[in-house]
Amino acid sequence: MINKKVCMIGAFSVGKSALVERFVRSVFSDRYLSTVGVKISKKTVNVDDTDLTVVLWDMEGKDDFADVNMSYLRGAMGFFVVVDGTRKETLDMALHLRKLALDKAGDIPHAMLINKADLKWEVTDDQLASLEATGIPIIRTSAKTGHAVEEAFVSLARAMMKD
Amino acid sequence: MSDRAGSVSLNGEPETPTLGEVPDIPARTGENTVAGAGPRPDGDPAFQRLRELLFLREMELLRALEKRLDDPVQHARETSEVIAEAVLLRAQKDNMLYTALEPMAEKLFKEALRRSPMDFVNALFPIMGPAIRRSIAETFRSMLEGFHKTVELVFSWKGLRWRWEALRTGMSFSELVLLHTLLYRVEQIFFIHAETGLVLNHVFDEGVATQDADMVSAMLTAIQDFARDCFASEQGGSLDSLQLGEFGILVERGTTAYLACVVRGTVPLEFKQKLRDTMIAMQIKYADDLNAFTGDSGKFAASRWELEDLLDTRLADTGAPLPLWVKLMPMAVGLLLAAGAGYWWYEARQRDIERRYMEESLVQVGKEPGILLVEARRDDVNHWEVIYQKDPLAKDPKTLLDARGIDPGTYTMLLIPFVSYETDMVTRRVKERIDPPENVSMEFDGDGTLRLRGKASMGWILQARQEALALPGVEKVDMSGLTDPRIDELKRMIALVEGTVVEFPLGKDVPVPEDAGKLARAMDTLSAIEKLAGGMNVSVNLTVYGHADATGNDKRNYEISQARARTIAAMLYARGSSMPIAMYGLGADYANREGAENGGKNHPRGETSEYTGDRASRKVELKVHLAQLPSDAGVLNLLR
Ligand SMILES: Nc1nc2c(ncn2[C@@H]2O[C@H](COP(=O)(O)OP(=O)(O)OP(=O)(O)O)[C@@H](O)[C@H]2O)c(=O)[nH]1
Ligand SMILES: [Mg+2]
Repeated sequence: MINKKVCMIGAFSVGKSALVERFVRSVFSDRYLSTVGVKISKKTVNVDDTDLTVVLWDMEGKDDFADVNMSYLRGAMGFFVVVDGTRKETLDMALHLRKLALDKAGDIPHAMLINKADLKWEVTDDQLASLEATGIPIIRTSAKTGHAVEEAFVSLARAMMKD
Repeated sequence: MSDRAGSVSLNGEPETPTLGEVPDIPARTGENTVAGAGPRPDGDPAFQRLRELLFLREMELLRALEKRLDDPVQHARETSEVIAEAVLLRAQKDNMLYTALEPMAEKLFKEALRRSPMDFVNALFPIMGPAIRRSIAETFRSMLEGFHKTVELVFSWKGLRWRWEALRTGMSFSELVLLHTLLYRVEQIFFIHAETGLVLNHVFDEGVATQDADMVSAMLTAIQDFARDCFASEQGGSLDSLQLGEFGILVERGTTAYLACVVRGTVPLEFKQKLRDTMIAMQIKYADDLNAFTGDSGKFAASRWELEDLLDTRLADTGAPLPLWVKLMPMAVGLLLAAGAGYWWYEARQRDIERRYMEESLVQVGKEPGILLVEARRDDVNHWEVIYQKDPLAKDPKTLLDARGIDPGTYTMLLIPFVSYETDMVTRRVKERIDPPENVSMEFDGDGTLRLRGKASMGWILQARQEALALPGVEKVDMSGLTDPRIDELKRMIALVEGTVVEFPLGKDVPVPEDAGKLARAMDTLSAIEKLAGGMNVSVNLTVYGHADATGNDKRNYEISQARARTIAAMLYARGSSMPIAMYGLGADYANREGAENGGKNHPRGETSEYTGDRASRKVELKVHLAQLPSDAGVLNLLR
């Protein structure tokens, strides 16, 4: 029985909850309900013949750098920091949050999800390439189409298994 | 306080704090050595030489001594030889040393505590835990004693009655007692890693409806985080007991893990102590595993023994079972008499009208439901001995014979209890046993099917089914015609809560004062829903939706709608609820309509809308979700 606490962080409205819904229940809704506090879900994934239960802490998004409360990240064993590809300012927030999260939870497995891949992006490939060059794992996802969502979670799970 | 002032210089030069004390010793030696040479004039070279000749050895000694005093390394080395003794000596002499060191020690301690408080807590916990427990125990003991006596008295009387009831109904005594005397039950224990909120182990009592342990564990932790954020007190404001309908959740905290127990009823202090002891023991036993925890709960599998030891059902009075011979007595007597009666029957047979009427009556009575004539005989003096088998619920044969004008002086009757399968009797037995409420009708057909129709409480329905099926003669129970008025009540209350719209002033996240009453009523109703649902093994989840009007920009609108949802959830938690609450901010509603059209893209962040908001859109709405706990499929069917 292996359980892992995984947090979803990122700016407001980038699609954290949508990604969780897609991953856990395979559904997508256009309706936007902005999360308050934290919403808990879980899913068991099978990685290399081992069952691993991911307890997901889907966090309230923040736009204000000063206003970030990282207390829910206590004890996290992995996290996704989500960016809305259609709004480049959410990338700055993501980089900021990523740093705070690593400070808070230590050097744990994580990835940056650039979401809404089904729409036209403001964030450019060049930007992403230079980020990747600095060693930040980047995955392009769409909660709407489900593109790369399962893969992202499974690869995080695999990385956490090694921990 | 001049003493203390004098010590400041010691603090000011931390690298030489002990020199002020120690130089006493070498200094005194120095004075003595120099004393002889000191007063001589130094001007004359001849004299100087003479002095060198005379005191060469001494001067070298003196220089070496000087060097020793000046060289800090050397000095430190020497001082180290005597420092302990010096400190001891001074400490015996007066308090100066304490006074000097105290502020420093205090500062050091505080600093160390600040840097790694957990080390201190870990170290202190095993010592403080039991001490705190003991003092709390002391305080409550006297109070509890009085309380327990009352409980015991009340229940011992009841115990007698139930024993009789058990004997009468053939229901197992312990079953009956469980029904009547449940004082408290510790149904589930969660062993939770404090930092991650992940479940380390989870045990539950047989037949208890359980929810997903991983989710409950994470949710409990998140609720506590949320509560800590909302009611941030200096202490970190921890929630140690929560109420979830008729269930309570007791939380016992260790340093790196905690135990959460789901309990029904009121647990006694002894249990809380046991819980505390267990937590302390686990904290010590698993200290290293807890610190190194990375999600593998396998290491904690063995904790189930300790945890299961906490699962506990306490009844007020369990009583000892009746000895076997008491139970067999009526049968033995019956057999004996039956044998004897056969003999008497032969012996005393006589034919006359009176006798035939008596015989006829005895036979007729024996045809009544639940009554069987075993034997009847008349002795020489025309006195009858009659033996009937009688179902406990059948009419009394004596009364029936009375009704036929038979003089009770003419017979002696022995009744042997038995269980009759006649439809009438089964029906009566069912009625007696399940005690249907007024508006439940009952029908029993020959093939052993019992049909119930009408309104009854869920608890009654479930219990009735179980009990009816246990009764002799009942093969099947059809309850499809039954409904629980509580379901209607639940629906009514949910409608009330969901119909409550709390409004907010422009730009504020505290409800308008006019809605305080409405809000309070909704919250009371929610508690009632939790309670009612808890009794039906249904779990209640709440979603709080915050809304904003469309004045101002969207970013602000989402924020204010979130804040409004948060306020309401915090108010609920402040009332002690532990209901899982999902909170959402919906921003201004028109934004959602737009969002729906372009896939949530570009919620117009920072743009000011032309739409002017109205008060009715600055609101919070509540939505109640009921979920059936997995065990009682029966209730599930009825809820549909
Ligand atoms: N087209 C498209 N829309 C998406 C995608 N992911 C999310 N959305 C939409 O974006 C909006 C915001 O999604 P959420 O998942 O609620 O965002 P969030 O990050 O949880 O937001 P907060 O909880 O407020 O921080 C919703 O209207 C979603 O339908 C995506 O991959 N493609
Ligand atoms: Mg969300």
